[in-house]
Amino acid sequence: MAELVKKINKAPISSGPRQYRKQKLIWAFVFLTPWILGLLIFFIIPFFRSLYFSFYTLEPTPDGIILTFNGFKNYFYALNQHVTSNTSFRVELINTTLDALINIPVLLIFSLFIAVLLNMKFRGRAFVRAIFFIPVILNSAAVTTALGGGDAIASILAEQGINQIFDLEFYLVQTGMMPWLITFIVGLIDRIYVVLSLAGVPILLFLASIQSVPKHLYEAAKIEGATGYETFWLITLPNVSPHIITVTVYALVDSFLTSPVSGIISQELGKSNRWGESAAMAWIYVSTIILILLLFAVFAKIFKIGGSHYEN
Amino acid sequence: MKISKILDRIKANINEVIDYFNQPRTKLVWKKRLGEFFGKLFRMIILFGLCFVILFPIIQQISMALRAPQDVNNPAVIWIPENWSLMNLKISIVVLDYWRALLNTFQLSFISMLLQLFSTALAGYAFSRLRFRGSNILFIFVIITIVTPPQALSLAQFLYFRQTGLIGKQFSIYLMSGLGMGIRSGIFIYIFRQFFKGLPSELAESAQLDGASVFRTFWNIMLPNARGAIVTVGLFAFVWQWNDAYYVAIFDVSSEAFPLLTMQLINAAEGMYQALFYTGGLSLIGQNVWENPLFLALISNVSALLMMLPLLLMYLLVQKQFVESIERTGIVG
Repeated sequence: MAELVKKINKAPISSGPRQYRKQKLIWAFVFLTPWILGLLIFFIIPFFRSLYFSFYTLEPTPDGIILTFNGFKNYFYALNQHVTSNTSFRVELINTTLDALINIPVLLIFSLFIAVLLNMKFRGRAFVRAIFFIPVILNSAAVTTALGGGDAIASILAEQGINQIFDLEFYLVQTGMMPWLITFIVGLIDRIYVVLSLAGVPILLFLASIQSVPKHLYEAAKIEGATGYETFWLITLPNVSPHIITVTVYALVDSFLTSPVSGIISQELGKSNRWGESAAMAWIYVSTIILILLLFAVFAKIFKIGGSHYEN
Repeated sequence: MKISKILDRIKANINEVIDYFNQPRTKLVWKKRLGEFFGKLFRMIILFGLCFVILFPIIQQISMALRAPQDVNNPAVIWIPENWSLMNLKISIVVLDYWRALLNTFQLSFISMLLQLFSTALAGYAFSRLRFRGSNILFIFVIITIVTPPQALSLAQFLYFRQTGLIGKQFSIYLMSGLGMGIRSGIFIYIFRQFFKGLPSELAESAQLDGASVFRTFWNIMLPNARGAIVTVGLFAFVWQWNDAYYVAIFDVSSEAFPLLTMQLINAAEGMYQALFYTGGLSLIGQNVWENPLFLALISNVSALLMMLPLLLMYLLVQKQFVESIERTGIVG
């Protein structure tokens, strides 16, 4: 490595652009070496190995691991037989998928809206922005577990009837509202914190993409007398829409990562006699994500989200 | 006499006012002013409300942490504790083995942040400024690494580390970070690529004309200009490693000899009584904690606060640069 650096530094640079291009190529590979090594060792090989393992039963022995082929048994186990004390892989997978399908559109609209608000000029903007990124920092599985107090404490509290200090549902029922409306409102309010804690990075991405919209477009709109509402629909939204895909991918991966499904997979990984099953679960999980992404891609294609607004 | 005079005056004035508002120009102006006012009001209410939702749990926890144990069930105490006490903090510190865990977590996060910065900045620079035939195809792999959940890879990675005897050692985390496969490294490469792309190409060209080598251009010219991206990526890398409970659990990094905050917190939350018992926290509060289960929940909350507090303090220090760096250049291009 050190010799290579010396050699490259000694190489005559003034000998034309061709020499420089060669130097660039060499450095490109030097710069990429750590990443390519990592990609091979920690991504590509594990990727195919875990696919391979998902069709086998793994049995760790002192001499090594004994592999026995068992076809799709691991997949059937994951979907039909797996149970833990209070839930199962199938239930959690379905819940997480449904949650993601509901949460992500809400999240997209919400974070775009907030990004537009945060992009406006008003007093105390820096302060408000700083607060909005706090959930990004505090979004941690460990903290969530601790704030929930863990299963043990939650069950004790429930036994004594102290599970909620302010029971919104109870108050709403007393006002004589329709039941479906109450469920909707309570569900929405329960969701606010979930959405807020997922929204940090999407807001950041949207904010950055709004700021990369050329300023002259806004100036022209202002001169023409466009209202803020029109400016949003005709300038901001079309320019931001390519990033909707980025944000969707990020939010989808993030919401699955923090879900109980990934917890179950890690748990199974912890038991050494269930490695094959955990690999199968991981692959079911990956294919679910890819399926949802494809669904979004088709959806985006139909409604032309993400295409450039100005080309046609 | 007088009253009728005043009434006449008012009548004349009202007509004047009505005339004023009937003019089309003033109508427009007032419509605009009202619109602006309600827009501002609406924005303020939304932003203020959401800030409240974010800050409320944090403030509540700080207030709870400073409460004396006998106030836990006192319904009269909502915000300001009646008896101030550091007892809860003391117990949590014992339960978490806080100072040692803090130091270890800091060490792990800091070293892995440096390694992540090193590997992702280099790769991001190569993908944006040193492009060659096929570099776009390689970049597709970066996207794939972002989308693939770590669970799909963990088993094979775990078996690697088991074979090489790196399970239970922090070096496993460093190795992944240093090779650009740490926590969400793909996103960092993406951020660096977009950032370097956004820097004016004249910078590199003039350096080239002055005879700087490719490496010197990167090291002395491009890197100092990428401070914003470095702050953003550094903050994320540090925070995500700090909060990580996944890799740390799978590679079994946290142990008796090398406790980490996340794992200590999860263990403590899941078995608070046992944690109190084994760490000797019980002697601080007495044996009869079961009479007040809320107290166990309180200790678990205070422990969570203790884990977040260093991050919050750190964020306060770098938040200005962080917010500015988002502003200065689009992370997304």
